[in-house]
Amino acid sequence: MSDPTPRTRKRPLTPYLLIAPTLIFLAAFFAYPMFQGLILAVYDDEAVLPILDEASLEASRVGELPQGAAVNILGQQGNTIDGELTTDLLTEQWFRLSATDVDGSDAEGWAPESRVRVRDEAADGSPIGGTIRPKLGENADPLTPLFAEPNERAEVVAQLEQRAVVTIVDETLLEVWFNVTAVDDDGTEISGWAPSRFIRAFESGEEGRVDRGSDGKFTSRFIEKMFNDRFFGPAWQTTILLMVIIIPLQFILAMAMALVIHARPRGTSGFLYVYSLPMGMSDLAVGILFFSIFTSNGLLNSVLDFLGLVDGTPIYLSADTRYWIIIAIVLAELWRATSIVMVIIVSGLQAIPDETLEAAELFGASYWQRVRYIILPLLKPSLQVALILRTILAFQVFAVVIALGGGEIVTVLSNETYRQYFELRDNNVASAYAVFILVLSLTSSFFYLRTVRTNDAAAQR
Amino acid sequence: MAEIRIDNVSKVFGDHVAVNRANLVVEDQEFLVLLGPSGCGKTTLLRAIAGLGMADSGRISIDGRDVTYLRPGERNLSMVFQSYAIFPHMTVRDNIGFGLKMAGEDMKEIGKRVDEAAELLHIEELLERRPSDMSGGQRQRVAVARALAMKAEVLLMDEPLSNLDALLRLEMRAELKRLLQDVKATTIYVTHDQIEALSMGDRIAVMKNGVIQQVDAPSTVYAEPSNRFVGSFIGNPPMNFLEGVVAVSGDDVNVNVGANTITPDPSIARAVAAFDGKPITLGIRAENMHALDGPAADAVEVTVSVVEPLGSQNLLTVDVGGDRMKVATHPTFEVAPDDKLWVQMPTEQIRWIDPDTELVLSPAHDVESVR
Repeated sequence: MSDPTPRTRKRPLTPYLLIAPTLIFLAAFFAYPMFQGLILAVYDDEAVLPILDEASLEASRVGELPQGAAVNILGQQGNTIDGELTTDLLTEQWFRLSATDVDGSDAEGWAPESRVRVRDEAADGSPIGGTIRPKLGENADPLTPLFAEPNERAEVVAQLEQRAVVTIVDETLLEVWFNVTAVDDDGTEISGWAPSRFIRAFESGEEGRVDRGSDGKFTSRFIEKMFNDRFFGPAWQTTILLMVIIIPLQFILAMAMALVIHARPRGTSGFLYVYSLPMGMSDLAVGILFFSIFTSNGLLNSVLDFLGLVDGTPIYLSADTRYWIIIAIVLAELWRATSIVMVIIVSGLQAIPDETLEAAELFGASYWQRVRYIILPLLKPSLQVALILRTILAFQVFAVVIALGGGEIVTVLSNETYRQYFELRDNNVASAYAVFILVLSLTSSFFYLRTVRTNDAAAQR
Repeated sequence: MAEIRIDNVSKVFGDHVAVNRANLVVEDQEFLVLLGPSGCGKTTLLRAIAGLGMADSGRISIDGRDVTYLRPGERNLSMVFQSYAIFPHMTVRDNIGFGLKMAGEDMKEIGKRVDEAAELLHIEELLERRPSDMSGGQRQRVAVARALAMKAEVLLMDEPLSNLDALLRLEMRAELKRLLQDVKATTIYVTHDQIEALSMGDRIAVMKNGVIQQVDAPSTVYAEPSNRFVGSFIGNPPMNFLEGVVAVSGDDVNVNVGANTITPDPSIARAVAAFDGKPITLGIRAENMHALDGPAADAVEVTVSVVEPLGSQNLLTVDVGGDRMKVATHPTFEVAPDDKLWVQMPTEQIRWIDPDTELVLSPAHDVESVR
């Protein structure tokens, strides 16, 4: 008698296989960049400069100075020179060269990078060969010295002709370090060494300040800088103002359009296509289109002039007529983005069974009563989606504002992000703006999800 | 008082005539069933009465008032929809009270009427719940309660039981019948289920291809179908049809069915005689025939091909001449496939059908017009 082998049901693998790429996608294209963005806004990677007890990166820390701290420079020293203080060194890359001396003998020694034209590189990009650069100027010494050590204080071991072929056998960095004393954040006097590239010396050469740090630190500096930015207030107010004007108008319009499409009166079969036409246009194109309407010799003035309604040419889009710019932006945004809301509402309307509306009609509900008591409550989930989408898009409004307002007279949050990044080259504050927009979007979405609570029944039908 | 009068109503969708010149009078407080196969136009006709789809031509009046072009809300009627059409976002209480609220009744009256309707349907404990967590049967009750709460004089029902499972349908059928007897509304009930129609209606209107075929009491529709379609659509099993040829010699009228000869009932003989020498169709119901295990004078010899024991009866499928028919026998009647059997057909139970028009001949049938 054979025992029937107990069969264990195999766990279906497919869902897991489907989840894996989703997770990878999320991590690689969403979570990682978002994390980096967040970090930029709150982390200053040049916040503090460690002060070491010797002129070497391997030396131990005696303390640290914040960016901008005043320092007294007592002296300087190259990291490749032992002991004595030197004053006329430059921080520079040095190559150890193997070449033929001017007297014909083989020689090997150090020369600064500025004297060598690298002509040959190894596979990993490190220089392996080159020629000596010619010196400019009539009185210049045509010969280039090779030093025993990688600094100009060292003994000269050979002289090379200009354009002499050299082999690069080694390289090192001659870095000048400052011996500094300063008072740190805690009020303690510290004294030690720091690489000169992090410190800006004043003209006297005896005083200076920490130009930038080499170590990072979390800081609210950028966020404070954003809040204190003179464009922050206008940008934030305008963004909210546009949102408050546009979204209600948009929902009323979209609802009306959707109801027309849903009711299908005679001769409206093409309305859906006409209504959704603006969805096919980029926001910048719409901005430029409306600019061409509102510009001083644009369509609006032409029409008004033709009708004899104006004398001369009124100017709409100028610093003195800020409200006209706002009106133009509102109209452009209404024209451009209402159809997205409409499409969402239409799909919601189509999900309401005909019999439900017929029942309402049969039980005596007029058209407006059906809209009020049946259609609107059943559209709640669609309206919620549309509201979230529209609010998030409203926080991101950009191209239309740029096209119509130029970004100076009327500015919005995303414009400030752009300005900080491209014009002021301040990644951190740009990032702070981006994070601010993200926080606003998340907060509003959360707010809608909580307050416009969808009941299960409405979601189910 | 609400008599529904339908005069010459037609409804066309594109080139499909859904309802073709329908004429129907539903008397006050009558329970009329509109019966027909799917696509026969019964729902279209009901919707025209409800006002949910306007009639293209003709006239519909309720209680003497022409409502043909009135909006549904203005017709003083209520309806139970096939899908129930319960408002999913409202509680049961708001659902039932919806029509009253739209009519502007005051809150007290609405509350009272909602409670009444809920009590009738035994759904008092569901009043504060939402339809989403209710079973099909419960939703159905809500839909009926919503219609009854209106106390409208006309009640329309569009296949209200078709979305229920078989057992629940049986139970609701009886309950609906009891309820509607008390409600005293003029009711039009659309169904494709002939058992529902036979068991519930005061009268049945049978429809096919947009045309009303017959309007009569259930027993009449069953026993005396007006044409071949009604006979075949109503009854389970449907009416049997046999092809015969009429032979008249002197005063004797006989019909040859295969090798057998059947003599029509004297009351109909004159009408049958008009088909002398021409084919004619006989219609007879399975339970009206008597199966015998031996030859008899007026019995037809048949061969059994299938025996289906159904509990209350045995249903036999037999070959007679070139035709097949179903014969019901007592469950104790013993028979096996391929047995020979003799079947008596009581002549008064045979319906005679003109094969061209498919109409059932009646004793008063005008002989001349057939010719």
